[in-house]
Amino acid sequence: MLTYISRRALYSIPVILIATFLSFWAVRSTFDPTAKVRVSRTGARAAEQIRVRLHLHDSIFEQYGYWLGDAVQGDLGDSERTHEAVGTMMTRAFGNTLQLIGWGVLISALIAVALGVYSATHQYSKLDYTFTGLSFVGLAMPAFWFGLIAIQWLAVWPKETFNLNDPIFYSVGLHSGDQSGMFNLDYVRHLVLPVLTLTVLTIAEWSRFQRASMLDVMSADYIRTARAKGVPRRSVVIRHGLRNALIPLVTVVALDVGALFGGAIITESIFSIDGMGRLFIDSINAGDVQVLTAWVVVTAVFIVAFNLLADVLYGVLDPRIRLS
Amino acid sequence: MIRNRRSLVALIALFAIGAAACGSSSGSSGGGGSVPTGGTLVLGAEQEPDCADWISSCGGSSWGVYTIQEHTMPRVFNYAKKNGVWTEVPNVLVTKMPTAKTVGGKQVVTYDLNPKAVWSDGQPITATDFKYTWDQIATGKDIYDTTGYDKIESVDDSKPTQPVVTFKEPYASWKGLFGGGLYGIFPSHILQGKDRDAEMKDGYSWSGGPWIAKWAKGSQVTLTPNPKWYGDKPHLDKVIFKFLADTAAEFQAFKSGEVAAIYPQPQPEVIAAVKGSTSGANSYFTADTGNSEALWLNNASAPLDSLKVRQAIAYSIDRDAMIKSLFGGLGVTKASQSLNAPILSKYSDSSGFVVYKPNPAKVKSLLEGDGYTKASDGFYAKAGKRLSLTMRTTTGNKRRILTEQILQEQLKKSGIELKLDNQSAGDLFGTSLPNGDYQVALYAQTLTAIDPGLCTIMCSTNIPSDANGNSGQNWTRSNVPGLDKQLETVDSSIVEPTRITASKKGDVLMGDAVVSLPFDPMPNILLWSKKIVGPVNDDPIFSMFINIDQWGLKK
Amino acid sequence: MTATAIEEPTLAGNAEPVALTQWQLFRRRFFKHKVAVVSVVILILFTIACFAAPLIAPFSNTDQDLLLGAVKPNATHWFGTDTLGRDQLTRLLYAGQISLKIGFAVALIATVFGTAVGAIAGYFGRSVEQALMRFTDLFLVVPALAILAIALKHFGRTDTVVILVLATLFWMYVARVVRGQVLSLKEKEFIEAARASGASRTRIIVRHVIPNIIGPIMVNATLAVAAAIITESTLSFLGLGIQPPDTSWGNMLSDAEGFTGTGQSYLLYAPGLAILLTVLCVNFIGDGLRDAFDPQSEKH
Repeated sequence: MLTYISRRALYSIPVILIATFLSFWAVRSTFDPTAKVRVSRTGARAAEQIRVRLHLHDSIFEQYGYWLGDAVQGDLGDSERTHEAVGTMMTRAFGNTLQLIGWGVLISALIAVALGVYSATHQYSKLDYTFTGLSFVGLAMPAFWFGLIAIQWLAVWPKETFNLNDPIFYSVGLHSGDQSGMFNLDYVRHLVLPVLTLTVLTIAEWSRFQRASMLDVMSADYIRTARAKGVPRRSVVIRHGLRNALIPLVTVVALDVGALFGGAIITESIFSIDGMGRLFIDSINAGDVQVLTAWVVVTAVFIVAFNLLADVLYGVLDPRIRLS
Repeated sequence: MIRNRRSLVALIALFAIGAAACGSSSGSSGGGGSVPTGGTLVLGAEQEPDCADWISSCGGSSWGVYTIQEHTMPRVFNYAKKNGVWTEVPNVLVTKMPTAKTVGGKQVVTYDLNPKAVWSDGQPITATDFKYTWDQIATGKDIYDTTGYDKIESVDDSKPTQPVVTFKEPYASWKGLFGGGLYGIFPSHILQGKDRDAEMKDGYSWSGGPWIAKWAKGSQVTLTPNPKWYGDKPHLDKVIFKFLADTAAEFQAFKSGEVAAIYPQPQPEVIAAVKGSTSGANSYFTADTGNSEALWLNNASAPLDSLKVRQAIAYSIDRDAMIKSLFGGLGVTKASQSLNAPILSKYSDSSGFVVYKPNPAKVKSLLEGDGYTKASDGFYAKAGKRLSLTMRTTTGNKRRILTEQILQEQLKKSGIELKLDNQSAGDLFGTSLPNGDYQVALYAQTLTAIDPGLCTIMCSTNIPSDANGNSGQNWTRSNVPGLDKQLETVDSSIVEPTRITASKKGDVLMGDAVVSLPFDPMPNILLWSKKIVGPVNDDPIFSMFINIDQWGLKK
Repeated sequence: MTATAIEEPTLAGNAEPVALTQWQLFRRRFFKHKVAVVSVVILILFTIACFAAPLIAPFSNTDQDLLLGAVKPNATHWFGTDTLGRDQLTRLLYAGQISLKIGFAVALIATVFGTAVGAIAGYFGRSVEQALMRFTDLFLVVPALAILAIALKHFGRTDTVVILVLATLFWMYVARVVRGQVLSLKEKEFIEAARASGASRTRIIVRHVIPNIIGPIMVNATLAVAAAIITESTLSFLGLGIQPPDTSWGNMLSDAEGFTGTGQSYLLYAPGLAILLTVLCVNFIGDGLRDAFDPQSEKH
């Protein structure tokens, strides 16, 4: 087991290195780190200082080497936009995005499993068709549009129709002005709409996946045997069916965390949440090279880590796979 | 444009003295009687500042001024409307209006500080702080704008309560320094000998104003009363500025009641709302602003180097119809006719620009007189080359992108092609405009003090060149004969009538030469909840939030 | 039954009747999928409407009515007008040209290229295959939206660039699927028979392999159409995609965003529904194709 994990981890290293190098190169060749200072009063001199500091006179490979050297020691440089340490900015943004993704994964998984199991055990029932139909709509839904419609109908409409002081669900940020903390009603009211927007696609995808894998499992011989032996249906579904059908879903979930990161760009920009997505948009608009470089690299590492986790979980959970 | 980061670069220069404006009165609610004390007020901010080291290159955000700087940095002047005209009034920091005299070709300004004026640690605000402020701005590294401070020869701090500032030459715009709209006064006893940028950029806990600010990056600024504040105590216990992604989110947060007041850009959805019902909310809007939004032309870029082409453009655009469609909801139905902002109207002469109304016959004769012929595709061409222009504005600003589409359509009718290549504010103001890498651009200049002074952006001496270290801000690269003389007079004369005459002559010259084409005053919009008690006014320099210390919350 | 239908005639080494028989079977099964058939009709009508916009749109594409401004849907303007007094139905049709063009062009390029690479990798074996797979891995570790945003910033935000960049991101998925199919097909008897009869590799791939995996390829193509339309609209919504005056449905939503929850919220619905409906149709067609090509999958 340990060998398997370490082998997979070792394999991830070149993927991360090459992927991050390509990202680094793409960002450096698209944005000019000296653009901003070139025209200022102390222009030429300041630009030269930046060139020296970022080793722009060297080849792109050496630049990457220097950057990586600093990065592994925890120094991601300073943002040109805010003069703040990139590491600090990333940590803060990452915290908010993780909240979104964490809740998103948890809620989509719960809903998807419930829908999938119901559909599989009530195949071709009216509700099964309804869920399948809804999942098609979910898969075709542009998430950003869903977000806007949700604001219109779940935040604005009830407030105006029933003349409320506040909307039931908020559409801006994660907390009201004077609130903080994660365990209060205010937080939940802020979280509902963004999490819904972030998860509309994953719920649709995962519930279809869960339905399919549940159907597979339920038609397997050992389930039939259990049923024939007179084990109650409920117990068969949960003990034998669900347990085995969850295995493939777990790996899909781990793999989809990367996609949720992309989704965060949309969700955070619609709901004004200061996370990785907003940071990306702000940085690309400001041409903030240091932040963008760190952003793609950190995201890549995060996604690779979850891909690795998916592999490992698959190995751990599926007894049929023997790892060596 | 000033509410957009960086855009300030352009303006900074428009510092200084004097006052002006015609105008409508400010709105207010409640007012008068007793204002309740206590409570927490949550306000909306459209943009988070990049950093809180106001004088550094990352500090040029007007929202930084509105949310932190104006509440924590001591300043010499406030602005007030007197007889319908915006003018400087001494702030509580000084005991009387400072005086400026010319002594031996140099200008000497003496400030009389309030002896009660102290920082939040109880230390007095002194002449040494003035000296430190000048020193930091004039000689510091990576300073956003040194205009004015670079004309100071010395600051005498021998008398702690009476700083004496000596300028190398007469400098008309001196009132914009030491706490005009842009920079406040820095505490030398706290910062002296330290790295100012490092101490301040992420926020600071000292204050010389009514509030102490705590900046939680990424989410909000919290203001609490400064216990050592020597003026009238704020009524509220706490004021929170929540940072929102953009105008749309800001407006959304106001409608949902999450923030109690906003000062949004005049985007179409906001105007539509102001025009319609504003149930449960107060609103006020004014065109008497410090903004001038214009179509800025690169006079050095062919084919715009031809006066006839610039005139043809001016005669192609129905500015009044455009302004009416964009701002009609706010009662603004006529285009601006001067590059000076509305609050400086006494320095403006509209006769130069007012002649430019749609006139197809004129467009035809101008372009044909310049050697163009209309091709079969409907566009003019000269020597086989189509008359085509590329326009830039800031991405993400929906009203500006709508404006571009109007222009595109109107110019097409005149046989002029307009292509769009929009950029982020950073790229536009940081690279393209200074480098002259543009033909036509749409953005606004915003005043940082109530003072005329278009020389910075229109004098030929300020065209970016080696001579001025490429830091000149005449991005239109206009070089109009006789204009430099008029605008330099506006900058250096301290005789008001002389300034007014020179400024008006300059306006006419700029109009005749179509250096650019003024569009609108970018009206200021104030929206605030009925639960706010106290005077709510627009302030063209410091925004509606300047006097939150006088606001209260209905119980 | 199906398995034999596919393989039996091929054994004769004659591809022509194979295609025909398969085609008939396929058609019969596809037409059984009612929703897919309806989707095809809707999508065709939609496409015709968009590309015939100059003929059928009530107004000219660039018509502005500055004095009219934004008005709610009415008899003259079925979907209302925006701030510039532009007819939203007209805009919707013209924007559809760009959205649909991007969707189909991306799918076409990605499918052709992906199929070629996938077939080669699968047929010629390990080294090409390894290179392809490792290359694909690289693109999977950075969110596609981020890669796209940076690439568009680099190359310019025109529809051609959007198409090429999206195709660059999508071909690998097709290649992976095709490679897998080819690998399993390679060992089948009829291929070996063709090989034994001296057919060239190219001929085998083009005449025998590709026709037999056309099903998964087309299903994947529909996925690419759907993904391209959604991704493009997302980028344009964020202001990082198509730039005015070119307009896609994403741009229209970007314009409408601020009006959420105001009197002009009608601007939100038409472009969003257009995207939803188009992608829904494309997905149903994909579902129908899957069932038609692979009847076993029908039950799930």
